[in-house]
Order: sequence, then structure tokens, then C-alpha cells
Amino acid sequence: MNLELTEEQKLIQSTARDFAEKELAPVAAALDRGEESREKFLANIAKLADLGFMGLNIKSAYGGAEAGSVALSLAITEIARACASTAVTLAVNNLVAEIIQTTGTEEQKKKHLRDICSGAYPAASLALTEPGAGSDSAAVSTLAERDGDGWVLNGSKIFITSAPYAGVFAVFAVTDKAAPKGSGISCFLVEAGTPGLVIGREEHKMGQRASATNEVSFENCRVPGDALLGALNKGFSSAAEGLAGGRINIGSLGLGIGLAAIDYATAYAADRKQFGRSISEFQAVQWMIAESYTELEAGRMLLMNAAARREAGKPHTKEAAMCKMYATEAANRACYNAVQLLGGYGYTDQFPVERYARDARVTSIYEGTNEVQRFIVAREILKSL
Amino acid sequence: MKILVCIKQIPDMASKFKPNAAGSWFSEADLAFRMNEYDEYAVEEAVKLREKDPASELAVLSVGPARVVEALKKALAMGCDRAVHVPDEEAYRKDPWQIASIIAGYAKKGNFDIIFTGMQSQDRGSAQIGPLLAGMLGFSCVTTAIGFSLEGRTATAKRELEGGAKGVVKAALPAVITCQLGLNTPRYPTLPNIMKAKKKEIAVLNAAELSSEAALAGTEKFYAPVKKGTGLVLEGGDAAALAGKLIDVLKEKTTVLRG
Repeated sequence: MNLELTEEQKLIQSTARDFAEKELAPVAAALDRGEESREKFLANIAKLADLGFMGLNIKSAYGGAEAGSVALSLAITEIARACASTAVTLAVNNLVAEIIQTTGTEEQKKKHLRDICSGAYPAASLALTEPGAGSDSAAVSTLAERDGDGWVLNGSKIFITSAPYAGVFAVFAVTDKAAPKGSGISCFLVEAGTPGLVIGREEHKMGQRASATNEVSFENCRVPGDALLGALNKGFSSAAEGLAGGRINIGSLGLGIGLAAIDYATAYAADRKQFGRSISEFQAVQWMIAESYTELEAGRMLLMNAAARREAGKPHTKEAAMCKMYATEAANRACYNAVQLLGGYGYTDQFPVERYARDARVTSIYEGTNEVQRFIVAREILKSL
Repeated sequence: MKILVCIKQIPDMASKFKPNAAGSWFSEADLAFRMNEYDEYAVEEAVKLREKDPASELAVLSVGPARVVEALKKALAMGCDRAVHVPDEEAYRKDPWQIASIIAGYAKKGNFDIIFTGMQSQDRGSAQIGPLLAGMLGFSCVTTAIGFSLEGRTATAKRELEGGAKGVVKAALPAVITCQLGLNTPRYPTLPNIMKAKKKEIAVLNAAELSSEAALAGTEKFYAPVKKGTGLVLEGGDAAALAGKLIDVLKEKTTVLRG
């Protein structure tokens, strides 16, 4: 049993931490409030791309760092400690890149992975969710129909991260209407600027506000035949491996927000005096601190286990769902405690914990709701009986 | 051009320090370690010089326990070509004379043209290694550099003097340059370079074979710092004078007013 990180993993973690403290933390609150521009947000994303954070687990032949799944988890956690909006952009870019690496042709990898890794694409988007296909993602109705040697896409997607500045979209669409539900779906790589690709309204979200989340629609959007990613009609099953990685990413992101919140609140509690002494001397406060750190540590161990299994090429569907579910809920509880520890101050934007609480909330919803994660965990356990 | 940069790994300065069992130094339990800040300026300056001359070679050296390999790998990821580790699990017991002697023992055989290091370590803070090393090797020595350039065999360095004054000195190579805040902004190592650094050489040398010098000054006792307020209150004089003082403090002690 070895729970020590390698020196490379430690260095990636400390590089992410240094960058987050110096470049992201000073602007995160202003970005959240819209007081800093999107250009500033994207400039930080570009810097992260320059440092190799966008293709963390991508082979060096395609411009990636080839640093592994554990390092990716560590990096996302450190970035999320400072700015969850930046972290989700990084998480989705890496997710799309990994799906392309796993399922793409050599040409697709050469064309798109280099641009994601280098930052030539400011971001990459995953276009799966639809108004009628949330947790029931196999219910997608966006249609891709043959048109000569290409395809024509029609339909609408919602909640698409990074849509206004994504260079490429991995779009899931029905290619065989007659097939049983979930099995006639394919994935297409649609480049920004393709006629018929329409970036719609940007959502006004509760948290992670610096990251854009948009409606995206396809109106007779024609893509060439080589835009098909992975096998025809097997879009779901071929993306599953990448989506498991996405769950580890979001668990890691939740962990970062939770740690930021409880670190801040604990330092505050040690300093804050009521009834003539530090409130950290009260048992009620100590229990909140103890429980949050214990739960986050448990989340971290689940994440490291899932990431290590993924890196070693072992099955990790169950572990990825477990760590996503547990770490994001631990993070939400830590944020609840953090706001409670700061009392009235915690409810104001003079202190960062209200932002952490808003940023953490969506982590139990996106990348598969935690109810879906529970379903996956139970399915994986029961199928082995 | 052969370049050497000497680095030390130090505890995160935000840590809570406690004496070790013997009371002679701080306990390393529960501490996180990182590269000494002034040594990061030294690595950055050395890498910049290395990049200007593809024919040059840049080595990084550290004396210390196994954990210093992480700092060496960071320096390799920042652009050093190879590393030298002189393992010493109890390096903290050695005084600056002994550490400088070990480095000199290595550098004498290395035929180096220029050696960069931090102007001091953030933990011990003796600021002696650079000047001692220069003395032992017979090199020129420039301390607290906040600007550096090289033309032929002449180094020009801007130095920070007392009271905010600056000076410019020229030194013939071979030279030791100690680096101060303001010299440069150290780069972040890129992730691909962190992974590629795995393949770079880290030579392991025996401290006893490099120097057998005895300590000239032993460390007797370590006192943990008393917790005190972090603020500084400027008092007396009119508002304009106070504002002037504040600007001086910000310029000297922080990076707030540096371009």
C-alpha cells in the first residue's frame, strides 16, 4: 500500500497551487460578480494551457503532458480552491480531450488534440444534455441525418459549458431512430463557426458564474463525414470511459471548493472572539471543523483511489461514481458549515464563503446528478451478484 | 559557458514552527517544503542565461535530505540540464562554512564560469553561502542582485543597497551572483517539462568526499517565534511624510509597487 504521491505529482500539485494563489485567487470574486471581464477569465485559461493543464492526460505526441489521472485530479482540486469557474473549464477541456484521445481517428487527434492542449482552442465543449435529456441522457433527440458523404444535425442542447469560446464541440446525436433507446446515438466533432451551429442564450447561474453555460442549437448544421467521433451508433458506449473520468474531475473540483471553504472558516473561527474567547474553543464549532475535514479527507481518498485505478487501466466505473457523489456532497456540507461558522458575515459577499457555497452547489448536479451516481454504484454492485 | 545554480529546500514560511526533540533546530514533522524563494530567482536567471546560449550547460545542486529531490526536479523542469544531489539527512546541523565547502568541493572540478544562488535562505538566513563559495573558489562575488546582464566575460549587476539605494557593479567571470527579490519573475514549470525532467540526470555525490571541513559555528538552540500581529503601524509626522514612508515600505518589503 503506497499513499505517497510521486515527485512529479507533487510538483504538478504545487505548480497548480502556486498558479491558483497568484493568478486566480486575486480575481475570482470579481469574475464571479462580473466586475472582471471574460477576457481576463480567458487570459487565465490561456496561461493554464501554456503550462500544459489542458491536455494533462493526453499523450505528448498530441501536445499533452501525459501526466496521468491522479495528477489531473490534483490539479483540478488546486485550481478549484481558488476559482471554480476556471476549474470547470479545465475539467471539461480535459474530458473532451480524453474522449477524443480514446475514440478519435489519428486525423481527429492530430487536428483537435493539439489545439485543445496548446490553447489554440480557448476551450472545448461537450454537448450532450438536452431539455428533454438530463439524467435520462439516452433520450437525446438531436438528429444527425446522412447527407451525401456528410451529416446534417438538427436539435437543441442546453447547459453547454464554454460554448461561446469553445473551438470544438463533442455533440451527441441520434443516428439510428429505429434502434433501441441509447444504442442509436453517435458523437460528432463540430468546429466553432460551422454554419448552422448557433450559440444561444447564456444562463445566469447561481454559482461558477465566470464560466459560460449556454443553449446551443443545430439548424441544418452540415458536418463532413470525418466529423464522426468513434463508431457509428456507439457514441454512448464509446464515450462512457471518458465520462467516468469526467466524474473524477468533478469530484476533484468539489473537493477543492470544500477545502477552500473550510480552510477559510477554520482560520476565521480561530480568530473570532465571542463570550471572551475564540469560538474555536467551543465544541459545537470544533465538531463542524472535525466533521468537514474528515469527510473531505474521505472524499480525497475515494478520488485518489478512482484516479489511480483509471491511471492503471483498471475498471473504475463504480469508484468514479462513488467519489463524485461523496466528494461533492462532503464539499456542500463543508460550505454549509463554513457559512455557519462565519455567521452573518458568511452570508455577505465581503467574505468568500458565500461564493464557495454557491459554486459547490452544482457539483452534485452536473456531470451526472448524484442520484444517477447512486444508481451507477448500486448497478455495479448488484450486477456482480 | 558552464553555469551552476545552488538551491535549498525550505519549509513553507506560513508553517507553524516547533523545536525538534534536541531543541537545536525546528522539527520537520508536519511541514511542507518548497524551493527557497531567492533560489527561485537564481534558477530563473540561470535558465535565462542558458537559453541565450545553446552551447552552454546548466547544472543545479542541492545539499540536503531525500526530500530536496523534489526541489531539484522543479529546477530541472524550469530548464536546468542536470542535477547534483548531495544527500545529507541532517544538513541542518552543518554550518554555512561546511555547506559552502561541500559545494566548493564539487564546483572546483566543474570548471564553472558562473554560479547563481539565492542571497540567503528563508529559514536559516545566514546569507553566507554565496560569498564563502566565491572566496573558496577565488571567484568574483556580487550579492543581492536585482538586475543582471552578461557581456563577454563581464557580468553587470544592479545591487540593492541599504536604505533603498541601488548600485551597479561589474565583475569579471568566473563569478558568484546571489539573487534578491526583484531580479526576475520565476517561471512556472510547465507540466510537459515536469514529466520530461524525469529523464534528466540527478547525480548523487557523497558529502564526505567533497569536503571534510569541521563546523566553525554550531547551532545551539532553536526558539520558536512568538506569535505576534502581522501589521506594521507607521506613526508620527504629517500625512505626506507617512505616505512617503508607506511607499518606501511597500517598495522594499513587498512586490506591490514593482512593475
